[in-house]
Amino acid sequence: MGVFDGLLTGLQVAFSLQGILFVFIGVLLGTIIGMIPGLGPISAIAIMIPITYGMDPAIALLMMAGVYYGSMYGGSTSSILLNAPGVAGTVAASFDGYPMAQQGKAGKALAISAICSFIGGTVGVVLLMVFSPLLSKVAISFGPPEYFALMLLGLLAIASLSDGSVVKAFISATLGFIVVMIGIDAQTGTSRFTFGNINLLDGIDFLVIALGLFAIAEVAFLILFRKAGGLKDAKSIGTLKLTKDEAKEIAGPTTRQSFLGFFLGVLPGAGATISSFIAYITEKKLAKKPEDFGKGSLKGLAGPETANNAATTGAFVPLLSLGIPGSGTTAVMLGAFLVLGIQPGPLLVSEHPDVFWGVIASMYIGNIILLILNLPLIPYLARILLIPRPLLISLVLMFCFLGVYAVSFNIADLYLLLLFGILGYLMRIFAFPAAPFILAFILGGMMEQSLRQSLTISGGDLAIFYESPIALTIFIVSVLFLFVPVLKGIIKKGRNTTNLSA
Amino acid sequence: MKCTLMASICIAGFMLGACSSEAANSSSGEWEPAKTVELVAPSGAGGGWDTTARMVAKVIDEANLANKSFGVINKPGGGGAIGWADNYRRNDPHNIFVASPPLIFIHLNEQSKYGFKDFTPLANLIADYGAFAVRADAKWDNLQELFDDLKKDPTAATVIGTSTPGSMAHMQFVQFAMEAGVDVKNVRYITEQDGGAITSLLNGSVDVFSTSVSVAVDQARAGKIKILGVTSSDRLQGDFLSDIPTVKEQGYDAEFVNWRGVLGPPNMTDEQIHYYEKLFEKMLATEQFAEIQEQFGWNTMYLDSSEFTEFLEEQENDMDRLLKATGFKKE
Amino acid sequence: MFQTVNRKIGFVLILFSIFFLVLCYQLPTFPFVIPVDADLVPKLLGFLLMFLSIVLFFSKDGDTEEQRKKRKIEKKELYVLLGVLFQLLVYILFFEFLGFLMMTTAFIISCSIFLGYKKWTTVIVTAVVFSVSIYLLFNYVLAVNLPSGILPF
Repeated sequence: MGVFDGLLTGLQVAFSLQGILFVFIGVLLGTIIGMIPGLGPISAIAIMIPITYGMDPAIALLMMAGVYYGSMYGGSTSSILLNAPGVAGTVAASFDGYPMAQQGKAGKALAISAICSFIGGTVGVVLLMVFSPLLSKVAISFGPPEYFALMLLGLLAIASLSDGSVVKAFISATLGFIVVMIGIDAQTGTSRFTFGNINLLDGIDFLVIALGLFAIAEVAFLILFRKAGGLKDAKSIGTLKLTKDEAKEIAGPTTRQSFLGFFLGVLPGAGATISSFIAYITEKKLAKKPEDFGKGSLKGLAGPETANNAATTGAFVPLLSLGIPGSGTTAVMLGAFLVLGIQPGPLLVSEHPDVFWGVIASMYIGNIILLILNLPLIPYLARILLIPRPLLISLVLMFCFLGVYAVSFNIADLYLLLLFGILGYLMRIFAFPAAPFILAFILGGMMEQSLRQSLTISGGDLAIFYESPIALTIFIVSVLFLFVPVLKGIIKKGRNTTNLSA
Repeated sequence: MKCTLMASICIAGFMLGACSSEAANSSSGEWEPAKTVELVAPSGAGGGWDTTARMVAKVIDEANLANKSFGVINKPGGGGAIGWADNYRRNDPHNIFVASPPLIFIHLNEQSKYGFKDFTPLANLIADYGAFAVRADAKWDNLQELFDDLKKDPTAATVIGTSTPGSMAHMQFVQFAMEAGVDVKNVRYITEQDGGAITSLLNGSVDVFSTSVSVAVDQARAGKIKILGVTSSDRLQGDFLSDIPTVKEQGYDAEFVNWRGVLGPPNMTDEQIHYYEKLFEKMLATEQFAEIQEQFGWNTMYLDSSEFTEFLEEQENDMDRLLKATGFKKE
Repeated sequence: MFQTVNRKIGFVLILFSIFFLVLCYQLPTFPFVIPVDADLVPKLLGFLLMFLSIVLFFSKDGDTEEQRKKRKIEKKELYVLLGVLFQLLVYILFFEFLGFLMMTTAFIISCSIFLGYKKWTTVIVTAVVFSVSIYLLFNYVLAVNLPSGILPF
């Protein structure tokens, strides 16, 4: 069966009344759980497994897929409006999204987020459909040394995430790296810095850090400046419409990051988070005015928002074509496939074309539904910012507590959340940027593990890193990343001086 | 002697019950849950414990096997330690949890204060077995060839698993490699917990994947990897599974069971234990659960409370010896 | 010695890095052969932090007027912050015992009033609607159980 016939079968499944209904339920649920921090797509799909048992597999799976990519749409809402990223893939969206909302452009920020998510998701599905068999080779080409190189590239973003003191940015990153060392070390089973406390054995959860450093710290400032009023008049939500110039501005990042995000998503283990960070730094490097980043740049929001959705779609490549889960969520999806009696892998296309093509076709519809669902909601969602400050503060605090508790069901994590909130507040008043901290926290753990995995494999020989062509290429790109701006600066200076002398 | 003692306790219980107003519970000297039973998965959503708990709860509820409903609760943290500590503290017979070998490993590695002896083993339900897989084009066709190479040079193959050294995936490999005379301390073992283990095996980063049958079988069926041996004592049932040789028949006299059972809080009464034993036995007999088992590749391994306790004692002694022999635990 | 803010923070961070390194050197060695043990990366981080803190200690203060303003908090405002913190601690302390519904409703009301909100009816309605709808969503739609506490449902 060719791609065309296949897609036709898929469209029949996806366009059936039942198909549309369940895609709708899936993406709606995904949007909702994405908006509430803590209840990520993993839990949602795990909960759905017993419920969907006995359903038509194609229908059940397209609903679960909808939950997965729907959650990426919803996740950026809390990042942009409240500076409270609930999913790791949407942290980068808060860097420029939240400043935009603060400037009274919440409507525009949410609109960009929805449109870029739609484009990223849709381009992703096209790529998934056309290149899935080809890309399955790419998906397994990454081993520990290649991942180490990729994490290093991501960490280099620290240099570009600092707009004040570089030393402070690096101190912040080092502290984030130190915090991720807490817990049982996977390679040796040694418990590190846990002080014999069982609550620390698994390490500190991402949400505790993200909500503490970003949201709780922000709330502290909201409390101090509660009388300043802020966004009182209804106009401050701003318009949803983009001007022609603005659309032009985000066209570049959106196109680039649709592809880049998708390819990074194909790699097991890389996924939405890394692709969104890499999108942020590449866009900052490419931008004519990098100094706008972090202060409400449209590009800084469009890049990561496109990339995380494209990556989510990309993650379906190894899952569908190889039966290999690339992330926690796709691992649970694999479980869901198995329960429904479907084995994802090389034989899926021929054995269950309705499932394979049904899921893919449903993603087109799902993305359209998400756009239609999200755009009209924006004015209502943005109105959250108009809630009187004292009430808003109380609600945001409860929202963060709920998010953390729903992940671990553990009171100890709530104390940790407060602790990191206080740390975040102190960092803010002493001008230590929080972004490097969370970046090092997310990437550092994976980087250490892949470094040590690589060295165990090679018996301690560092040659393993430059003998791999992929790893070597990424190292070279990293070096370019570091030095191109320096060179650019030198050239610019040179030109300026020549201009002056002339 | 034991019988009369039991009888007198029963009679005493009956009389006490008759005196109290709780007629529902006392009429037959039996125990039934008075509220929703919380079936705890001491992990996040989506893992092995969670899946087992959700499926068991679903079958019990849908087949109406219990008078009250069963709800699944996730208590993640510390590889299970937080859930166990919580169960111990609450000490409520309506709060029971799903467990598997990590209950023993984590306690022996001193990462949890509580071991199975601090709880009441209710019943074991199912079992999965360990499997050692290599790439389809690897030079080894059976375990003997692999172990022979490793005996000559312990760094001849790198092993990957999803659990940390000293825990399940690592120890199941170490157990057999030691039996074969391999210098296990020098074998390269890496942990991969983010789902990249099969990828690393397929792209040649590592050579051997120490895992469970249910994880490896699908890739093996697709012809991407080959399973050199499974750790059950007899060959498994099923059209593809029955072709895989056991480790035992290749001359290594040991087995490794990835058991999965249910335990309750300490100090449960005989009536409570009896109630759960029977309930789980009935649950295993349903057609619905049999179907689920087939989908996941789970084998039935029912043990009642006393058999389960005995089995766990044996397991703990074996693993304790193994951990001490390899230096993970001090004598 | 501690005239500038950078010096003060630098000094605290140097102390922290020493404390952290002491912990690193107490990590046990792995019984099997492994090229990089669990202590290497933390030790590197410890030294890196120490180096960076020393650099910070000797670097010029980039303190802007804006930063200084952020730090200057009136005593009264500080008490407000501590007051909210105290309410959060009470919330955590009684959360599992009294349950999500009661504590969340109570917190939203008390915190909003504490911060100077005056419309009692609005705050009570919001608090009840928020906590009840979240509770229903989690416990009944998503089957993720939030603590019910002393309430029977």
